[in-house]
Amino acid sequence: MAMKKKRYALVVDSRKCINCKACVVACKAENNVPIGNFRNRINEERKGEYPKLSINFEPEQCHHCAEPSCVRVCPTGASWQRKDGIVLVNYDECIGCRYCMVACPYDARYFNEEQGVVDKCTLCSHRVDKGNVPACVETCPSKVRVFGDLEDTSSRIHELLATRRYRVKEPQTGNGPQLYYLL
Amino acid sequence: MHEFNWGLLIVIYLFLGGLSAGLFFAAGLADYMTVDDKPVYARVARMGAFLAPWPVAIGSGLLILDLGNWYRFYKLFIHFRWESPMSIGSYLLTIFTVIAFLYLFAWLTADERQWLFSKVPATWKQVHRLNVDISSWRGKIAMVGFPFSIGVGIYTGVLLGAVSARPFWNTNLVAQMFLFSALSSGAAALMLAMVLNKKSPAEKHEIKFLVTLDVVFISLELFIILPYLIHGQLSSLAVKQALGLILGGPYTFVFWGPFLVMGLLVPLAIEVYELAPNIFKGHEFHGSRNLALTAAGLVLIGGFLLRYIFVYAGQVSSFHQMGLLR
Repeated sequence: MAMKKKRYALVVDSRKCINCKACVVACKAENNVPIGNFRNRINEERKGEYPKLSINFEPEQCHHCAEPSCVRVCPTGASWQRKDGIVLVNYDECIGCRYCMVACPYDARYFNEEQGVVDKCTLCSHRVDKGNVPACVETCPSKVRVFGDLEDTSSRIHELLATRRYRVKEPQTGNGPQLYYLL
Repeated sequence: MHEFNWGLLIVIYLFLGGLSAGLFFAAGLADYMTVDDKPVYARVARMGAFLAPWPVAIGSGLLILDLGNWYRFYKLFIHFRWESPMSIGSYLLTIFTVIAFLYLFAWLTADERQWLFSKVPATWKQVHRLNVDISSWRGKIAMVGFPFSIGVGIYTGVLLGAVSARPFWNTNLVAQMFLFSALSSGAAALMLAMVLNKKSPAEKHEIKFLVTLDVVFISLELFIILPYLIHGQLSSLAVKQALGLILGGPYTFVFWGPFLVMGLLVPLAIEVYELAPNIFKGHEFHGSRNLALTAAGLVLIGGFLLRYIFVYAGQVSSFHQMGLLR
């Protein structure tokens, strides 16, 4: 039997985000991210002046783009994309030229000084392959992130994107970002 | 704030790579230029051939040192990825460096060649078989090398221009800008070397040839920078705001002062001042040594600053902080 095509993605309901940074901590613990580096972050946007003001928290990480420019520019093929859409770095092939970091419109990658290679969010592929959700998704107390397979029409993520309004960041770079922000 | 992934080593490499491309181009051109079937610029060509391979060799070394894992650089050559400018560039760079060294070898006199091979142990017979006179190949090597030198000059710009995430780079003018800057740096470096060579002082017609070459390249570069600025102002918001980095932003001074005026307009003015009386009024080309040195030095500084500004300002520019979201 042929395997059904998969396309993993994240939907972010940023209005639910309380900036507790549990996702950042969970990611660092799960993936052993070096001190000073992060695979995900929470952008803060403040608007207005007291008493009329608002603050918006917006979690961000690798968008696991449909047409990832990091994969395109990589001279050795170390940056690659799985069939299910997850963008990964093959650490044995990475020479540390950092072209992918320059080419990423979302600053989603970091340079691992110790190993001399580029690293990034893996969408916790090791967990996903066992049927679990990424650590950032699991730990979030306010359920900001929804992880799922866009090809699976019965999934929650499919339902959200079908019924809610959303946006993606900087689509004009042509990367086809797959991190969906609900409005 | 954004951190810089590419730093000074990359700036120096881009400059040195372009310099070699320019030196090779000028040398090859000088070799082809004849007056009454006599190779009047042979000394220029020889000097260029002697200088051309070294900057790119040093630059490639720096490039390798800049890698996170420098000993893995060989992986660049076990893969070929046509979509990656860096992959194409590393092959281009290697082939060009080989051609440039071959061209140098072709310009060695018989004595120099014997001296070189006298340093090789006599038991290395295979190496000694390479001790052949290939001076008759000069023209052919130059012809094969021209497209590669142009390629290296353009590639340094394409490397940056191909990044759609950086609006400061992502225009179709950066590649040509870098190419003409590279060619003019090469002509200037050659001029500097010819003038500084005390053993056999440069003759006036040689300086005139290099000054003419440099005027042409600087002018071409200038007429790419102007449309770059104008087009940027008329482009989409992200590009316009990226250009703000040199139009009021942190790189404004270094762009307009040291680069555009000192590194481009002043040397152009000096060279035109030297050349114009000769061309338009038929006066003898006076070929002032000091003016040639000044112009050449400024062109080289300008070429370096162009790369400095583009590497740094380009990395700051993005769609992220600029436009659209606000």
